[in-house]
Amino acid sequence: MIKILKEMDKITIKGHANYRESNDIVCASISSIMYTTVNAILNFNDKAINFTDNNSECIITINTHDEITDKLIDNMLLMFEEVSKDYPSNVEIK
Amino acid sequence: MKLFISLNIQRFAHVKAQGSTQNGRDSVGRRLGAKAADGQKINAGSIIYRQRGTKIYPGKNVGMGKDHTLFALITGVVKYERAGKDKKKVSVYEA
Repeated sequence: MIKILKEMDKITIKGHANYRESNDIVCASISSIMYTTVNAILNFNDKAINFTDNNSECIITINTHDEITDKLIDNMLLMFEEVSKDYPSNVEIK
Repeated sequence: MKLFISLNIQRFAHVKAQGSTQNGRDSVGRRLGAKAADGQKINAGSIIYRQRGTKIYPGKNVGMGKDHTLFALITGVVKYERAGKDKKKVSVYEA
């Protein structure tokens, strides 16, 4: 199960979707939503967030709150929730 | 638009899916090469050597098919010989 933890200005994403042995669509969707959001924010303002991936978990740390960063982060969390509704046993948001 | 973080859609996959490959096919071996050894008795019409192109040329009493297969024209003994500086030929001599 992928666990997404939202704390103040820090979002942690870890675990494995375990939806399917290979061609795991749930994993692919969470990964795509995350990478798309991070890359978009960094293109607007590469100081707005920090993104770290230590293989066990990905951590997005929000440094500055501007309209674009906040909207993109909120949109990412909204998309995560949508995926979690369809695949509750594979994605959990806290 | 700059790519800050490369997209890895298998980032949260437990088992990474293997990419498909277009390779992995091969034809069956054609069993080419010598079918009769030097000094071996052979009947007329028997195949002596299977080859692609003329690795070995036809010598005395040896014919060559359109796929460059060498075969005996008479019954006799097989003899592999040199043909010029760097070529080989095979002949069949009466026993």
